[in-house]
Amino acid sequence: MESFEERLKQAAGAIATLREAIGKVVVGQTQVVDQVMWGLAAGGHILLEGAPGLGKTLLVRTLSQCLDLKFSRIQFTPDLMPSDVVGTNVLVMDQTQRAAGSMFTVQKGPIFGQIVLADEINRATPKTQSALLEAMAEHAVTIAGTRHALDEPFCVLATENPIEMEGTYPLPEAQLDRFLLKVIVPNPTEDELCEVLARTTGRPMDAPPRVLTRESVLSLRAMCRDVAVAEPILRYAARLIGASDPTSKDAPDAAKRGLRYGAGVRGAQSLVLASKAVALCEGRANVSFADIAKVAKPALRHRMIRSFEGEADGITTDAVVDALLAAVPTRSANVEAERGKAGEART
Amino acid sequence: MPTDPNRFHPLFESWARRVRGRLALRHALTGAAIGLLLATIPAAIAWKTRHGTLRPLAPLIGLVGAAGGLAIARRKRWTDTDVALYLDDRLDTDETITTAVGMRNESELDDPTRAVVVSSAASALATGDAKKVRPHLLRPIHVLVPLALAGLVFIARAPLPVVPIAVAAPGTTKVQLQQVEGLKKVIALGQITPRDEDQRKRLEQLAKDAEKLRSDLEKGLEKREAQDRIAKLRDQIAAERLSLGDGEQRAGMEAAQQKLQEGDLTKGAAKALGDHDLEALDKEMEKLANDREKGDRERAKKQLQDAADAARKGGAPGVAKALEDEKKKLDERGKRADMLRELEKGLQGSGLESDDLKQQSESLDKSGSDRDAKKLADAMGKALEKLTPEERKRLAEKLRERAGQKGISPGEAQDLKDLADKLGTPEGQKQLEQELKDLAKEDLESDESKRQQQLDDAQGGADDTEKDIDKKGQQGQGEQGQGQQGQQGQQGQGEQGQGQQGQGQQGQQGQGEQGQGQQGQGQGQGHVPIPIPMPGNGNGNGNSNGKGNGSQQQGGGPSSGPNGGGAHGGNTGPVNNADTMKSRARGPLNKATSMPGTQTGTVPGKAGGTAKTQGAGGLKAVGPGEVDGVDHSDVPQEYRDQVKQYFQP
Repeated sequence: MESFEERLKQAAGAIATLREAIGKVVVGQTQVVDQVMWGLAAGGHILLEGAPGLGKTLLVRTLSQCLDLKFSRIQFTPDLMPSDVVGTNVLVMDQTQRAAGSMFTVQKGPIFGQIVLADEINRATPKTQSALLEAMAEHAVTIAGTRHALDEPFCVLATENPIEMEGTYPLPEAQLDRFLLKVIVPNPTEDELCEVLARTTGRPMDAPPRVLTRESVLSLRAMCRDVAVAEPILRYAARLIGASDPTSKDAPDAAKRGLRYGAGVRGAQSLVLASKAVALCEGRANVSFADIAKVAKPALRHRMIRSFEGEADGITTDAVVDALLAAVPTRSANVEAERGKAGEART
Repeated sequence: MPTDPNRFHPLFESWARRVRGRLALRHALTGAAIGLLLATIPAAIAWKTRHGTLRPLAPLIGLVGAAGGLAIARRKRWTDTDVALYLDDRLDTDETITTAVGMRNESELDDPTRAVVVSSAASALATGDAKKVRPHLLRPIHVLVPLALAGLVFIARAPLPVVPIAVAAPGTTKVQLQQVEGLKKVIALGQITPRDEDQRKRLEQLAKDAEKLRSDLEKGLEKREAQDRIAKLRDQIAAERLSLGDGEQRAGMEAAQQKLQEGDLTKGAAKALGDHDLEALDKEMEKLANDREKGDRERAKKQLQDAADAARKGGAPGVAKALEDEKKKLDERGKRADMLRELEKGLQGSGLESDDLKQQSESLDKSGSDRDAKKLADAMGKALEKLTPEERKRLAEKLRERAGQKGISPGEAQDLKDLADKLGTPEGQKQLEQELKDLAKEDLESDESKRQQQLDDAQGGADDTEKDIDKKGQQGQGEQGQGQQGQQGQQGQGEQGQGQQGQGQQGQQGQGEQGQGQQGQGQGQGHVPIPIPMPGNGNGNGNSNGKGNGSQQQGGGPSSGPNGGGAHGGNTGPVNNADTMKSRARGPLNKATSMPGTQTGTVPGKAGGTAKTQGAGGLKAVGPGEVDGVDHSDVPQEYRDQVKQYFQP
């Protein structure tokens, strides 16, 4: 049996290979790719937000191609119904026994995939969006009273347009909470755009290789849960979440002014789990403060509800997270003071 | 190469000891810095208060501070987690050490990651750079350690400040006088013949107080207390000098003065009596008694008797007695003068008069003093001793001839015959010589004059004593080397006028064994209605001018004293119409009508009772011109209307 250390190295190598494979298709967006890797390793669902044409769908499709997993895609539209997502019972006529051979059979929806791309999820109505709730939370769906477990690993990667765009339905808080990370897809840089143009206007590219099997992904997720977190880091995460509550005395001014509700327990769970994934992806068996800081924005930005004042003043949740990271000390006061002196001395 | 996980614990403990040790040392240094800084305060105080032996102990406070710092370091001792976090931060190990510390007690079977984490942490510790991890030992506050130590050394080596010379509060210096001659004159007041019983008691009390003061001065007494007591004695003596005719006897005194004022010969006596200067009064009487004109003597005697009667009538028996005493003395002095002159004439007529006798006789005529009368008597006695029997007979004959001359009164003639009879026998001559010698020694001063004299002597004695006290106090200060800055001014003030402010300078110089005083110079202001001699050796100049009806002494009299003899010549100008100024103790009240307007308007009625009624005042009688006065007044119309409305019945 391989030791944990060896498995850790293998996992890190597999992630690096996957990242490399995706990078052959997706130009740039390294941070986005990393965050998707973290979500995949942590076993969570990922919400990708960005303007149309930035490669969100391509990224997910490429990921599915790199993984030996069943891929399905749901294009969310305003008239999409929940049954279109989860499936339904349909009456099937048996041609051979015409009289008594008709029966209801489950017509599974696209949710029954392992990598599910929910494209433009905020173009569907909230009712349809909510159809994903059970699947995302419990990795199972109920069709006509019958519960159907989904194949593992199960991962929903949803894309959405910015909510300011016309014809979008903002995702409800309960729905958003199910996503481990919300990844913001930025516009490409000039060099990246040039590369995109070069790749997409020439000959069609070859499909990326499959680099991870289903077992590998499941092992990766199991290892992620084994990554150790020291108590001070857990407390730091807890302090961050506590400070996001605008009624807390420790809340920074941006949180007090810009937020109506802070991140909850799921936020804290996501923060630690995602940070474990970060450590795993980097080949470490323990989480650091830096890991927490790295995942703070994607893990928390969609869990905090802005207040009217925050919206009016343009205080984004990312700005609030920055304020939280700046305000909440990582270590005890003594050590922080010593760190400060050491920093001064070094300066 | 992975490190054995089992090495983590000892490695971590080693690193933790180093980190904690340096942190504790830093706390100790901080405590020592604060302690040493605080130690400079008691050290400085010890230096200031000249407790030199305590200064070396001050650095112990620094040790206490260091101990305190160590105690604080122990109290703030970092936990293993804190140390691990610090090490992670300095070694950039992504909290591996912290995680490993948290997992120390977990079993490897329970947590498969433990071995990896602990091994990584051990590797980090094993390869870590000790210099990189070492906590910074010195802080800016630690610069106080050498500075405070230098300060403490400086304070410890600095010479102690010189003991300041204690300056006693003004007047608190002790005065000790072994010989107080001046007070003896005051004490002697207890032996003089008093005017009455009350005066006897007062004088005895005065003498007792003086005796007590003398005793205290011999033992030593605070200067200010001595000055206070001597000032009281002076005041009592001055009051005693003025006691004749004072208080209830003032009316009799003034009546007697008035009587004396009426006579041409006794005007001076009247003034002397008014000034309570009985010595001057006696001198006046002395002149009259020794006057060659007997008629003047008789008139003066009558004036004195009238004055005595007026005094007695006015309720001043003391004054009357004094005046009658003066009259009696006047008579005796007159007889003595007459006898001496008759003898002188007899000797002259007999050709026996010497130049000396003649000169003495002329002196007596000129001055009219008792002193010259006594000299003449003495010279006369000596001249009689030298007479031969024939010369004595011739003198006796001459006296008898004179007794028989016209114009000689019977009494005088008898006196001349008696003289001639005495000269007729050797025994009589001896007796006459003895009488003349007695006359030369006889003191014919009045009792009141003697008392006055003794009171004056006592006053002078008190002044001398006060002078001695002041001089003694100044010497005491001079020994301490404290120069005294003089500042004194005087201001004359009369009864009705006020003298202008005087300016005076007074300097005193003290020089003693330990130091040297400075020449004082000052300009002062003060109210000194009665000039008080001030002891001292300074020089002062001052002047004051006053206007008013006060006497010169009160309005700016000369200041005398060894320390500041300033000229205070001042004049009080006459008050205009002063002779017509009068006042009444009880002026008559003129009856008049009531003040106008006191009962004007209407009397308000009471609800359900009386109606408003017209006032029964005197307005219509005393102020008819005020009817419609508001209308005629020089005020704006709107104000006028408002006022009318206010006074509307």
